[in-house]
Amino acid sequence: MSDEINIQELPIEELFELMQEDLYDGLADEVLEEVNEALARGLQPFEVLTQGLVAGMDIVGKDFRDGTLFVPEVLMAASSMKSGMTVLRPLLIETGAPKMGTAVIGTVKGDIHDIGQNLVSMMWEGAGFEVTNIGINNSVEDYMAAIEAHNPEILGLSALLTTTMPYMKTVIDALNEAGIRERLTVLVGGAPLSDAFAEEIGADAYCRDAAVAVDTAKKFMQIRNEAA
Amino acid sequence: MVRERRHSRRGRPSPTRQVEAITQPLHQIPVYELLDASALDKIHQVSMEILSEVGILFMDDPESLAILREHGVRVEGELAFFTPTQIEHYVTMAPSEFTQLARNPARSLVIGGKHMCFAPVYGPPFVADRERGRRLGTLQDFRDFVKLAYLSPYIHHSGGVIVEPTDLPTPTRHLDMLYSHIKYSDKPFMGSVMSAGNAADSVKMVEIMFGSEAIRQQPALISLINISSPRRLDDRMLSALKVYARARQAVIITPFILSGAMGPAAIAGTLAQQNAEALAGIAFAQMIEPGTPVVYGSFQTNVDLQSGSPVFGSPESQLALYVSAQLARRYHLPFRSGGMFASAKIPDVQAGYESIMTMLPAVLARVNFVLHAAGWLDGGLTAGFEKFVLDCEVLGAFHTLLRGIDMSENGFAMESIRSVPPGGHHLGTPHTLRNFRTAFYRSELFDYQPSEAWEADGAHDAYERAHERLQQLLASYEAPPLDPALDTELQAFVSRRKAEISG
Ligand code: B12
Repeated sequence: MSDEINIQELPIEELFELMQEDLYDGLADEVLEEVNEALARGLQPFEVLTQGLVAGMDIVGKDFRDGTLFVPEVLMAASSMKSGMTVLRPLLIETGAPKMGTAVIGTVKGDIHDIGQNLVSMMWEGAGFEVTNIGINNSVEDYMAAIEAHNPEILGLSALLTTTMPYMKTVIDALNEAGIRERLTVLVGGAPLSDAFAEEIGADAYCRDAAVAVDTAKKFMQIRNEAA
Repeated sequence: MVRERRHSRRGRPSPTRQVEAITQPLHQIPVYELLDASALDKIHQVSMEILSEVGILFMDDPESLAILREHGVRVEGELAFFTPTQIEHYVTMAPSEFTQLARNPARSLVIGGKHMCFAPVYGPPFVADRERGRRLGTLQDFRDFVKLAYLSPYIHHSGGVIVEPTDLPTPTRHLDMLYSHIKYSDKPFMGSVMSAGNAADSVKMVEIMFGSEAIRQQPALISLINISSPRRLDDRMLSALKVYARARQAVIITPFILSGAMGPAAIAGTLAQQNAEALAGIAFAQMIEPGTPVVYGSFQTNVDLQSGSPVFGSPESQLALYVSAQLARRYHLPFRSGGMFASAKIPDVQAGYESIMTMLPAVLARVNFVLHAAGWLDGGLTAGFEKFVLDCEVLGAFHTLLRGIDMSENGFAMESIRSVPPGGHHLGTPHTLRNFRTAFYRSELFDYQPSEAWEADGAHDAYERAHERLQQLLASYEAPPLDPALDTELQAFVSRRKAEISG
């Protein structure tokens, strides 16, 4: 167990394997070291991302869905992913790699439920998205300011109350008025919502849980990248 | 031989329990004390540490912060720090029990002391029944639940948002809900907490019913103020709380903790946090209006740390419930908790087990106000019609449990014991003939038949039987009389407010 390893001497496949294991175990510092080592060997940032981090998070996601991993473990894995991304993200942009995606997520005005949207944030981060979570009780102005500041491809709206759900439409209407609806993918979630409601208010999709939120966000990013 | 003509028992309707027949239960069995005095004191001490050193956030409501400051509470930003002396000073101002008025005086309820009362599920956006499945709730569903609650002798309170009437516009739906409680039931009900305006409308309607002076003497509303744990009261709840406290209407201050997410992944710590939050809210209500009736609330369970979903009926939540009741008693406050909680989606075996896991402790711990006592499914997302009917059967059984054992002469039945020879039976003794209808609680929905008879009857399970009962109940419903002048006045108020709000 306590055998010393020198990551500089590891063959590349083993380095990726170690990166995936450390990601799984939520070891942020180690993941960062391994990302830097891979880059130092001249690998493309996109390769490091897909063969190391994303491949690792795929295993995390699968084991979470299968009930092997617990939320706190996924949280640790996601924050390790995030720390690897801090190094990779600027390089990915420089090298013109396909975008992983940027998201802004928040609970609408009048609503303070945030456990669900925190889980979604965490899983999106784990999938490589750059996520800004603007918390609870957000007015149209709050969303507009966050969109202005972070220029996301994906906007996530959360509501758990039937009394605050209508405000999601208010936000979408405001996006239309501001002429920015088209460049955003609007995903909505919260236990009382449904596909029909999402359609009715003009959102792109409803996601029933965090796993679906990841798949849906990835699907929309793929469409965007293909169109680009 | 001449004899008096008597009426035969034949053809007599089966003895359905009359709404009037059963009143609010008194807790006549020992209270289950899980922690000893020193352990309980430890929880109290830790919560004092939280109150004085860690603080409670009063979010987005400058007026509340001003009230706290005026009463000597140290406020930093939006965080309030209470000293143990301040807490004690204000919490002791709250009454240990009070009466909530009902429009039928026979149905007014004592909240606190040895009294218990059972109220329907609160808040679900969806409803479900066996025929139509799960769907969004409507005003019609809301009314049907009010009727079921009215018809059950084991539900003493009409509740609040039994289900969200999602077919109505949000800014005015509270008016339709309040009016439905008044029109279709004569039991006490709950006020709306979604805004200060909604709370004011609720107060206005009970003023119309009882007079503005009468409701200051005894509250006609009880309303659910949830604390957004950890350690935060939000502006919506604070503004409703202020309206109710000023009108001396009862509020239930309920920290709502899913341990692992909104509290630590530990029970003692969760209890200390909950206690700090509840006492902060209760002290704040007393600062606004000394002596205003409050209930110490607890809604505690945990998230499933594997998936993140709330879990209902967990053993840890039972432990916490017993101790929460002890804490409320320590401060001489009425206590709210419990309920027939289930994560199950239909009233199946899982639902039954889960529900009883929380309801039995609620009974043994002596919860004064049991919200969600009937109809809860799907982690609170769905109000189940058949579940409601089935839960009521179990509540009936608890009424009997709460009475304890009759130790009178009749309770010993020595005459019966003496008269039956060894190996004989008691089925026909005078004592049995006097007592057979009431001696043992008998569910009208559970099946006690031999299996052949059950099969011959169509082999129906409880879900099916409850569905049939549901149809019968709704068909049999007759509204309690409502004074036409009062009705007109209430309707006029509702229409006027609707016009003003939609204005
Ligand atoms: C925890 C909780 C609270 C906590 C919230 C704490 C917090 N920090 O979030 C507190 C105590 C504050 C609270 C308060 C209230 N609550 Co509440 N609450 C709940 C409860 C029990 C669980 C919600 C939860 O966290 N679930 C776990 C998470 C993981 O699931 P989730 O939120 O559904 O999220 C998942 C998906 O929906 C999806 N998702 C969610 N958001 C998003 C967003 C995007 C972009 C995407 C893609 C996906 C997505 O992915 C998530 C992860 O899988 C629900 C009942 C329930 N079973 O849902 C009631 C519930 C939602 N609450 C309800 C009510 C009524 C209230 C109050 C009004 C009660 C009161 N009188 O005080 C207040 C309102 C406060 C306010 N202004 O918002 C009702 C609402 C129904 C309705 N009528 O509309 C419910 C259904 C319970 C009930 N029967 O009363 N509540």
